[in-house]
Amino acid sequence: MEKGFVENGFIIDLSNAKNTTQLVFELSSIMEHPDVKGKRICLKLGSMDLKQSQLLSIKALIESMEATIAFIDTKSEQTEASAVSLGIIVSEITKESVPTLTASSETVSMDAEPVAVKEEENEDESKTIEVTAETEERYSPIETADGIEDTYEEETTQELSEVIPAESFNNDFESLALNEGILKTEDASKYILLDTGDVLPKGVEENTIDTESLPTLYINQTLRSGQTVSYEGNILIIGDAHPGSEIVATGDITVWGILGGIAHAGSMGNITAKVRALKLNAIQLRIAGLYARRNDTLNVPYVQKTNEFTPEEAQIEDGKIVIYKKLRRD
Amino acid sequence: MTGRVIVITSGKGGVGKTTTSANIGTALAKDGYKVVLIDTDLGLRNLDLLLGLENRIVYTIVDVIEERCKLKQALVKDKKNPNLSLLAAAQTRDKTAVTAEQLKEICDTLKEENDFVLVDCPAGIEQGFQNAVAGASEAIVVTTPEMSAIRDADRIIGLLEAKEEITSYKLLLNRVRPSLIKSNEMMSVDDVVEILSCPLIGIIPEDTGIITSTNKGEPIVNDEDALAGKAYRNVALRILGEEVPFLDLDEPKGFMAKIKNAFSKLKVKV
Repeated sequence: MEKGFVENGFIIDLSNAKNTTQLVFELSSIMEHPDVKGKRICLKLGSMDLKQSQLLSIKALIESMEATIAFIDTKSEQTEASAVSLGIIVSEITKESVPTLTASSETVSMDAEPVAVKEEENEDESKTIEVTAETEERYSPIETADGIEDTYEEETTQELSEVIPAESFNNDFESLALNEGILKTEDASKYILLDTGDVLPKGVEENTIDTESLPTLYINQTLRSGQTVSYEGNILIIGDAHPGSEIVATGDITVWGILGGIAHAGSMGNITAKVRALKLNAIQLRIAGLYARRNDTLNVPYVQKTNEFTPEEAQIEDGKIVIYKKLRRD
Repeated sequence: MTGRVIVITSGKGGVGKTTTSANIGTALAKDGYKVVLIDTDLGLRNLDLLLGLENRIVYTIVDVIEERCKLKQALVKDKKNPNLSLLAAAQTRDKTAVTAEQLKEICDTLKEENDFVLVDCPAGIEQGFQNAVAGASEAIVVTTPEMSAIRDADRIIGLLEAKEEITSYKLLLNRVRPSLIKSNEMMSVDDVVEILSCPLIGIIPEDTGIITSTNKGEPIVNDEDALAGKAYRNVALRILGEEVPFLDLDEPKGFMAKIKNAFSKLKVKV
């Protein structure tokens, strides 16, 4: 970042821009600064080659923000020639200091909106249904996976736009789960059972209560390290559960995000309880009296952010915790 | 058998207490001693991460105190070394979940069956510090060659001196950068020792390997080549009472110089 002197103006250093698109992007983000109005601007263009038309549009951009180009500093002969033909002064930046503006974080942060922290709230029923209705269309591509893609997709969208009662959605979902389009694969190496002995509280016995009959707690927030949620029923987290957090439910646990902490489903001995997440990366998985730890080879002490999600579900089978991946058939 | 209970403390945060605990503990266990590490930083536990044991923790120190499990159940064995075990702090509770008496009781029980009980102290001088120090009879004060860390270390040494149970305390100087000392930009080891007038137990050089070792959950003492690892192994030896010379941190770098250096070391051994 070179410093120089321009009377009633700034130097904008764009010499780091790799192409014209980046240059224009950086320039325009700086020009949004309210202080730029009415100022004289010196552009530092480095060795970028600019055609006359390109330079003209940069000039127009600056003038549209009610500023003027004082002079430009360039190492490129082509840019220099273009500038001369447009009557822009080409000069070299020298000594002394003027506020130099680059596309700094300061500029960016002015545009960024404060992140709203959503508090835990009771979802009202109508809202939930609204959400499911929206999701409905997105589910159809999975159904099309068995080969009749084109026609089927059209049919479904039409059908869904007409009827969207919540009950029929439930039925659809069941048929989806049975559909061959979802492959269930066991991922055996991921979790290893811990030898913990008897961990269930005294007097609590294994049971197989239907988790669907239990109430569900909705949590619309990311769980951070040190935070715990426990509930007599199912827990649904819309957000991530970071490592160091703990979720304990007597029923199922579902995380609509990355599960990185500890999850204990069926904490009062329900062996049919399940843990599911968009990305199952839990440090420990606990279902009823079975505790399993993540394999050490996967033991990365931080959440790996990813855009690829393969929803996974953990449950007890033959005295072990097994994980099913839901894969789309490609 | 009565083991030694050593608290690792510093006052200031971020100077390397937890790294020191993990490394000295691992080094002592490697030498064949039975070691228990206690993390007393409730709510901000890290020691399990450094040892790569996070996924094995079922019970914590708070579960032991609140009698949800036996002390033995809560000890997590190290992956590699069965001599080393960890008593983890609870992540979902705070310092008030434990009292000094309770921690002292745990230390007393543990020292009966172990050679060393190392207590990783939280930053600060409040209850967390008081708890951690309660069961210990020795202390290692970790500091870095910065004025703020030294000031806090001085405060801690004052508090340790006031405790009757603490019979000895030693200074461990962490993150030393010989090149900066040479160019007079960092306080030298002698300066720090003079300011704090406290016996030195180790000098650990700044080592970027610490960052990777922390992220991997593998203490740097397991890396035979790392200089910081070697320094920590030496600290462990000094704890055991051996006289080990401090590492020569500004070793010459050229190839010939290295050979010369190797020869000169040989002579010392003979």
